[in-house]
Amino acid sequence: MQKEMSDLMKGNNKKKVLIVPCSGIGKTYGTVSREAAYEVVENVRPTRTQLVPLSLLVMGDENSRESVTQNPAVTIDGCKLACATKMVQESGGTVARDFAVLDVYRKHREYKPKGIAELNEGGVKLASVLAEEVAEVVDDLEINIHSDQDSEGGSNG
Amino acid sequence: MTEFLETTVDKFIFRVAKDCFYNSEGVWARMEDNQVMIGLSDFVQQRSGDVAFAEIKPEGTNLNFDDEVAVIETIKVDIAFSSPLSGTVVQVNPAMEEAPEVINEDPYGEGWMAVIQPDEWETDKARLLDPQQYFARMQVEAEEELAKGNE
Repeated sequence: MQKEMSDLMKGNNKKKVLIVPCSGIGKTYGTVSREAAYEVVENVRPTRTQLVPLSLLVMGDENSRESVTQNPAVTIDGCKLACATKMVQESGGTVARDFAVLDVYRKHREYKPKGIAELNEGGVKLASVLAEEVAEVVDDLEINIHSDQDSEGGSNG
Repeated sequence: MTEFLETTVDKFIFRVAKDCFYNSEGVWARMEDNQVMIGLSDFVQQRSGDVAFAEIKPEGTNLNFDDEVAVIETIKVDIAFSSPLSGTVVQVNPAMEEAPEVINEDPYGEGWMAVIQPDEWETDKARLLDPQQYFARMQVEAEEELAKGNE
């Protein structure tokens, strides 16, 4: 994780979309947010996204803070406190899109999440639906990132 | 302008509206123009967490004192609430369907749940807690919640 973050900052990777989930431990909705984030970065859009643990931002980890200033972030908050969104902003980053688990659940009441360490079936499905929604945003941002990079290249060349 | 009693427990601030009466579950009732508006107290909404869904008994429902009037589903719990009065539901806050988070955002104002045409308000009111009584009860409950959290 640290090496990937370091590479990201040194420009060894193309710009990626950072996924910053809630860090709420012991909370069902926090778990849904993290499972959705893992799904995005590990399975759904693994080459275009990078997970940033909220705890690193809170602790002031330099690599993490710098990466959020250089890459667009998608935050996934577990509750209205919106810690992920606020922390990215306080770290100087740009929140391209903030998701709230509750908003997604309201659209998919059939997936009632339960459980903490291990989500029930509804929670797993809700995380999956959320991951797909995040992926769509990542795809949109990808287009913008590429056009930004193209225009940067053009102006330098 | 509604005035409030206010207390701080740990990092939480709880407000109790002075112009309402309360049942033991923290459902407030406020008489306005011969009808009674009901909602959830600030303490109840904070303790329950972010509201995902709120289902209120539909307009036309006849209620006895203590009949179930609302069920809310939050990120923490599902809770049923009892009516603080007898009467007929004449209006349900449309926000309960579209944006029930108003219960969290403005529990004594925009977060009202329903308006009830009372049958026997004076009789029912005598069975409710006045603001000072509810304030005292709420403080005890808040301290108990805090103690549970620290166990």
